[in-house]
Amino acid sequence: MTAKDTYIVFELGGAAYAVRSADVLHIDMLEHVTPVPHAAEAVEGVVFSRGQVIPAVDLRTRFGLPRQAPTPKSRLIFLHAAQRTVALIVDSAREFHALPAESIRPIEETLHGIQGNYIQGVVTLGDRLVLILDIAAVLDADAFAPALSQPARTS
Amino acid sequence: MSEDQSPILGQELLDDFFAECDEHFRTLRDRLASLERDPGAAEALDALYRGVHSLKGNAGIVGLRPLEELAHAAEDVLRRLIRSHAPVETDTAARLGEAAHRMERIVAAYRLKEALPDISDLLDRLSRETAAPAAALWQARFAPNAERDARGINVNSVRARLAALGEIVSAEPTIVAGGGILFTFTVRLRGAPADAAAWSADGVEWTEAPGRPAGASEPASASAGGATAAPSHLVRVDLSRLDELMRLVGEMVIQRSRLGDRIGRMGEAGRDLQEAMAGLGRLLRDMRGAISRMRLVPIGEIFSRLPYVVRDLERDGGKRVRLALEGEHTEIDKYLVERLREPLLHLVRNAVSHGIESARERREVGKAEEATLTLRASSRGDFVLIEVIDDGRGVDAEAVGRRAAAAGIPCPPHPDAVQLLQVLCTPGFSTREQADRASGRGVGLDVVASVVRDLGGTLALETTPGRGTTFALRLPLTLSIAETFIVSAGRHVCAVPQGFVEEIVQVPAASIRRVQGVSVAPYRTGLLPLVSLHEMFGAPASTQTASPVVVIGSDRGLTGLVVDRVHGHREVVIRPLHDPLIRVPGISGATELGDGKPILILDPPALASGPVRPREAALSA
Repeated sequence: MTAKDTYIVFELGGAAYAVRSADVLHIDMLEHVTPVPHAAEAVEGVVFSRGQVIPAVDLRTRFGLPRQAPTPKSRLIFLHAAQRTVALIVDSAREFHALPAESIRPIEETLHGIQGNYIQGVVTLGDRLVLILDIAAVLDADAFAPALSQPARTS
Repeated sequence: MSEDQSPILGQELLDDFFAECDEHFRTLRDRLASLERDPGAAEALDALYRGVHSLKGNAGIVGLRPLEELAHAAEDVLRRLIRSHAPVETDTAARLGEAAHRMERIVAAYRLKEALPDISDLLDRLSRETAAPAAALWQARFAPNAERDARGINVNSVRARLAALGEIVSAEPTIVAGGGILFTFTVRLRGAPADAAAWSADGVEWTEAPGRPAGASEPASASAGGATAAPSHLVRVDLSRLDELMRLVGEMVIQRSRLGDRIGRMGEAGRDLQEAMAGLGRLLRDMRGAISRMRLVPIGEIFSRLPYVVRDLERDGGKRVRLALEGEHTEIDKYLVERLREPLLHLVRNAVSHGIESARERREVGKAEEATLTLRASSRGDFVLIEVIDDGRGVDAEAVGRRAAAAGIPCPPHPDAVQLLQVLCTPGFSTREQADRASGRGVGLDVVASVVRDLGGTLALETTPGRGTTFALRLPLTLSIAETFIVSAGRHVCAVPQGFVEEIVQVPAASIRRVQGVSVAPYRTGLLPLVSLHEMFGAPASTQTASPVVVIGSDRGLTGLVVDRVHGHREVVIRPLHDPLIRVPGISGATELGDGKPILILDPPALASGPVRPREAALSA
């Protein structure tokens, strides 16, 4: 194997992000999510995946972006990393890219509007900038804002 | 997807149905084969019974009547066989084989939407099996003499007539006083011999074989030995009867709550009864616990077949394996045991065919020629640990990587044990093995992992190159199933473990008051603190004029859970919430009611610890 990993690229709030496909179990349509009272605000609820109960994280909320009602393009990306299995709710996910390790650059601290500590690096795909997620940092339970208020989700 | 699919049955359900049927048919074929080898195999009968019983249930769900009827008839025959404790006669086994085969054809035809095969002939024959009295042993005594011999009646002709009637188990000549000879034939007959007078005229007297109750059947070897087993203190109870018992306890809980409601309304006059009611509640909880314990069986039950499996595999692979069983008496819920059978079988097959080297290979690397495969069960508090340990070559990470690459499965360059297990358990990884004879049978490691997960357990791998591999299954002792009440508030549905439910009462909205920020309702002679399910979920409050309140008892006292509806009570499989993101107070797990949507299981003691209201708390903070 060369130093080339495959990544899954997804969209969130108009930006492109990538996760290592080795960490991705599967990707599902976003259907029923059971809300969990008292969970962190970014935890939309739980879903089943292969008999396991898995938290579904609304990545928009996690990144401080405004919530968005699910669309037919919304996807659940099931990740397994650091012995945890979690599903991320993203705006859409369709692409698959092999990226050579040397094409991934560290992010510049000055890069505007990016919460640097979730990002492992950036890569340019054509004319797009793709941010590579540090999953462990994204899922770090301590970094989740507590359940401030639970807006009555009337969907 | 398909346009013509039945509106009631989703294709997914049908796929599940077909997959399950295939599994049961495989069991039936296996067990019928073992029955052929050993007609006395009680274990095979039990497995066959479970198989057809499940088929019957599944057929009922999809509405496949002929399968249901046939499975039902086969079930009757098997039940009778199990009760008789007698070896299965060849004819009966053949009839069962025929039934299994016909059931497979029904399912195949249903799958292809073809005309279903007729079953009436087979149903008739099966029902005759059930109607026929069990075979019993009889003795026919024949005394030959000159007069009878002249009529052509001699020991040979009598033997031939008896053989036509039933199975001759033994024939013994005895010399009687006065020099005569008497032949005693022991014959296995269905029912009593007909026309005793005619037999008598020919010098044959019938009696029931001594020492057996009328009509009882006996194993063929019974005449051989007089071994009297020590009286056993064990009874066999069908699991469904325990389930029934559990259901009845559930009913009693509901009745008790109704009674409690009435007593509550009696006011002062009912005070003496309150105490008795509390006692009754404790008894019901104890009873539940006792029934749960009855469901525990020694895990050795599923170890017992493994030595044969290992022996078969040894022969094929030029290997020598010693199977060591440890902790066979470790107890685990029957429900879990049944589901662990196949996964353990797979792990054992896997260890012998992939983990353990050939005797030659072992000699060359300086290991004992005979490999050791250890199956160890031990109880760890609320969990049971089952380990399958081999001292073989260990998992070759590089080979796994190559194969993963070939199968298009991502695999890191230097996988640790966790990553390795993840690759091994990826569906599709073990497809090649499935084709090979040894680990065949269509169960891959991915299925093992998913069964363990479904049971609320975990699977772990430990491997050292050249030293061996351990698969460790950690399973809940019994916690995985619970009787619950299903309740809802708006669109939020939850399950409340029955063991904590004291009763369910109707509380008029008008009687609810707020005292120091806590909702309370008058209850018995005091006040009941209330937690609302609506509020927990941040949903709009109920607009009902009266709501059901589930009264939850714990060592912290009573708490009322206000809901919109109580949907009745269900036995559910508890799936734990492992992830820290969803380990929240008040929720102990999740389950589903058949539609794939998670339903949260409430944790009553946490609710009772004072209404959990982070929403208010956070707002005021």
